[in-house]
Amino acid sequence: MRHTALGVRLLVLITFAAFFIVPVVWLVLAPTKSDGALVSHSPLSFGSFHQVWLAWKHLDAFSDHIYRRWILNSLFYALTATAITVAVGVPAGYGLALGNFPGRKVILTLTLVAMIMPGAALVLPIFLELDALHLIGSVFSVILPFSFFPFGVYLAYIYYATALPKDLLDASRVDGCSEWQTFQRIALPLAKPVVALVFFFSFVADWNNFFLPLTVLADSKQYPIQVGLSDLLSSTPSFNPAQGGGGQTVNIFRPELALATLLAVVPVAIVFLLSQRSLVRGMLGGAVKQ
Amino acid sequence: MARVAFERVTKIYGDGIRAVDELDLEVADGEFMVLVGPSGCGKTTALRMVAGLEEITDGIVRIGDKVVNELTPKSRDIAMVFQSYALYPHLSVYDNIAFALKIKRTPKTEIERRVDGAARILDLEALLKRKPRALSGGQRQRVAMGRAIVREPAAFLMDEPLSNLDAKLRVQMRADIKKLQSDLGVTTIYVTHDQVEAMTMGHRVAVMRKGKLQQVAAPQEMYDNPANVFVGGFIGSPAMNMLEARIERRDGNLVAALGDAAVPLDDETLDRRPALVGYEGRDIVLGIRPEDLEDASLANGDGRPRLTGRVEIREALGSEMLVHFEVAARQAMTDEVRELAEDVGDDRMLEQYVSGTQPAVATLVGRFGPRSRVVEGETVEVSIDRRALHFFDSGTGLSIA
Repeated sequence: MRHTALGVRLLVLITFAAFFIVPVVWLVLAPTKSDGALVSHSPLSFGSFHQVWLAWKHLDAFSDHIYRRWILNSLFYALTATAITVAVGVPAGYGLALGNFPGRKVILTLTLVAMIMPGAALVLPIFLELDALHLIGSVFSVILPFSFFPFGVYLAYIYYATALPKDLLDASRVDGCSEWQTFQRIALPLAKPVVALVFFFSFVADWNNFFLPLTVLADSKQYPIQVGLSDLLSSTPSFNPAQGGGGQTVNIFRPELALATLLAVVPVAIVFLLSQRSLVRGMLGGAVKQ
Repeated sequence: MARVAFERVTKIYGDGIRAVDELDLEVADGEFMVLVGPSGCGKTTALRMVAGLEEITDGIVRIGDKVVNELTPKSRDIAMVFQSYALYPHLSVYDNIAFALKIKRTPKTEIERRVDGAARILDLEALLKRKPRALSGGQRQRVAMGRAIVREPAAFLMDEPLSNLDAKLRVQMRADIKKLQSDLGVTTIYVTHDQVEAMTMGHRVAVMRKGKLQQVAAPQEMYDNPANVFVGGFIGSPAMNMLEARIERRDGNLVAALGDAAVPLDDETLDRRPALVGYEGRDIVLGIRPEDLEDASLANGDGRPRLTGRVEIREALGSEMLVHFEVAARQAMTDEVRELAEDVGDDRMLEQYVSGTQPAVATLVGRFGPRSRVVEGETVEVSIDRRALHFFDSGTGLSIA
């Protein structure tokens, strides 16, 4: 009886693990093979590193090194917007958690509502707004909406409302701090884990946002990587037969596409590793007697 | 250094609760004033109003000659020690102590001089580079003290600074803080719920109850002459025994009758408390401190009034013996007595109070000599030192004098 139960459990676990892991493995292995080999060889076979190098050369040659441009665009948009998000969102969360001003509850509720609203739902009104401000097609049309990140405000709010002992703030006030100094010298350094968290989530959200930049940007040289990838996709003969040859120099096939998507994940992974180092536990150890 | 004065200071919270009610109190320059009372009596709120961490609803707080009501904490020149210590966890001990000086842009050499001085006084020299989380409770407490003393402020405010330490360390720190305060001579307001701290540390003690000041006096004066039932019951451990008694005239002399016993009121007592005569035929609350009760067999027949009781518990402490015994009298049941019972968590007393059933027996505590031979479950003759009896009005709770 016990053995059967264990067997069933293992079976379920392995089935699901395989279901989710196989596509990832396939994707990682895809750039090592030629487009033909991708179809004819075993799906989980390894090709050669030389093939990866070839795929990169094809990808990089596409439309005059535009792939690099897309990555740099994405980094620029995401880092700028995330910097604004952190600079605005963390003090905002602090104010909402510990301030005492009229309208606090209303703002908090609005933050929550904005947070649960799907980003895509706002793209049309944001487009109209940006259009009215004549910002469509400029970098601001991406950076400004990206910088609006209520989830970051909420994360900071939760941290300050629950984890930070009020006595610390009172102590700093008695020690001669102005309200701003209290935030800057006590509340902010102690919120390092939350700053890292907000940074990470904001960066990932901005990096992966597809629909908004697609809508507001016209020139493919301005595209962030996510929009670029879809451009790339439509240049791939296997996905878009209309592109299929006709003397064009487009060398983008499935291995190149796989490589492009894999490389697009690398910056996110790096940001994750960097912010994870700041997510140290026990920041507040020894502050107050529990 | 400066005096600190409360003038009719009131704090009403948003929900209408009067945390502090028309507090009038003047703390002299260099004085060590202890604010004491059960939890929720408003003592911490009063302290935080001096610090500027709590808005003052009404009245005036002065530090020196300056009205500080509208000043932010930073412009009040006070230092505070928090119950939780509130050390900055991301800063080293040195930086914690130096923090206020850095904010004030004190020259670096001066900061070093003062921090080193404070560290020497508080024995923190070896710990200056550590972070608070690497310190023991006692060390954290000393860092919190250090943070206050480097400021050289007009006044120290201390909010139950010892309540998180274990008993032994608390006794040590009690003495240390007292000495430090007298060495520095800085005006200090010290909040505690521990009446032993109040008795041992303060030049004067202010007892609060439900936001109202009950009495301000030097510790011994307060112990000897409590202004009302509440102060009498709160100051002193074990607490004062409170009994219902009736002032009657027997054979031409006034007595306080409790149960089947009667304590004659001699001329000395009546001289000190002339108003007692007016209570003839009325009920009062009679307060007897445990040390004024003695095993009659040790008191060798000195003609003192006696009570007969049955021993419930005897606690031999070596130098003395605490004896709980039942006598045929009624426990006084006023609001004050109930609140005191609540404060110490005396459920049995509370139950009687709520149900209104007062048994005709009251349990008293006596502080007997160590050679007392009382046995649990047997009767005991107890003699009363009537010079130290306390008499309170049962209605107002005020001392009858």
